[in-house]
Amino acid sequence: MGNVERCDKTLPLNEMIFYVRRDAVLRTRWLSDLEGLAREFGLSREEYEAVRDKDVRRLNEMGVHQYYIPQILRLFYGASANSNSHPALEAYRRAYPHETAAAERLLARPARREGRGEG
Amino acid sequence: MARIVAAMAMTHSPGLTGWFDRAPEDQQIEARRALDEMRERLRAARPDVILLFSNDHLLNWPINNTPEYAVGIGPEHVGPADWYDEWLALAKYRIPGHPALARYLVNEGARRRLAFAYLRDMQFDDGVSVPMHYLNPEGDVSLVPVTMNCTVPPIPTPARAYEVGTTLREMLRDYPGAERVAVVATGGLSHEPGGPRYFWVDEEFDRWFLGLLKEGDHAALLRECTLERMEAAGSGGTAELLAWILALAFTSGPAEVLAYMPAVAWRSGTGMVVWPDVKN
Repeated sequence: MGNVERCDKTLPLNEMIFYVRRDAVLRTRWLSDLEGLAREFGLSREEYEAVRDKDVRRLNEMGVHQYYIPQILRLFYGASANSNSHPALEAYRRAYPHETAAAERLLARPARREGRGEG
Repeated sequence: MARIVAAMAMTHSPGLTGWFDRAPEDQQIEARRALDEMRERLRAARPDVILLFSNDHLLNWPINNTPEYAVGIGPEHVGPADWYDEWLALAKYRIPGHPALARYLVNEGARRRLAFAYLRDMQFDDGVSVPMHYLNPEGDVSLVPVTMNCTVPPIPTPARAYEVGTTLREMLRDYPGAERVAVVATGGLSHEPGGPRYFWVDEEFDRWFLGLLKEGDHAALLRECTLERMEAAGSGGTAELLAWILALAFTSGPAEVLAYMPAVAWRSGTGMVVWPDVKN
């Protein structure tokens, strides 16, 4: 199976992100008191440091659900115009240079004409 | 007896509203044309209610408790959730619910051994917000949202999704009201949200999958399009196509593929499909 099966469903960080996303007060504290927030949710030092460092590869390898990793980046960088030029791209480029380069080649490829009903 | 009057499926990638203009111009034109056509066909079917199958992006349910399916049973649905409105670049919208039908699905499902969780106040991410923006922009057609888990292991299989769709179709046939129901599935095509291949789409898989839909042979699709094949084409995201496979159970014959775009800029293979022949 794929990368999503790396997820550690019992990792405190996976619980924390769910609640931070839904709560404006916690989202503010994310920027002003990340360490205190991490302590309250029972994160290990390793989890906290991976978040603090925005280390995409380490987060993935320790079992953070892959869907939450860009959301962690959004908590730092904001969500507006979160296109492929967003700083998230840079974080993924650092973590997964080979995979991200392959995607960027797709992006740079000339558009292929799509016919109606083509599948 | 409720009556199925339309069945269609589309991608719900956030880029379709959040950063639409970052895609190549021809993809923008193609997407607009296909979405306009879907909206027109939906309107022409005159549905009383849209039964929408999507997936919860870990918004409504924490990771320690992710039901396989959940139904929004409230009298009104409000979205996008605060965390998503800026990202999706969408203003808040309100769409009437259909509590009678939604609560019937939960209770009748239980009698038929289908465990549907439910929420009176379901929160909405791209999975519901993007298709509603394009297909129900005035919010004048009632909505019953059904979300599934296709991202937190264990991920259900295509056979399971089709089985659930079949049971739902049978349940709607036994519904005491005469509502006209449009089935809309959203998600896919290939993408790997947040994974190592976050910015990549698998065009070969997407065209193969759409080709299976165009052939209209459900047994062949269920045999060939395994969960492993979907995961290989983008882990944790491509399996959103389970919603499309669930919707298949409401159809017969070939699908009409309105458009396909390997839209790396929107961050997923992007497609729009309508089934001309529905099944009651």
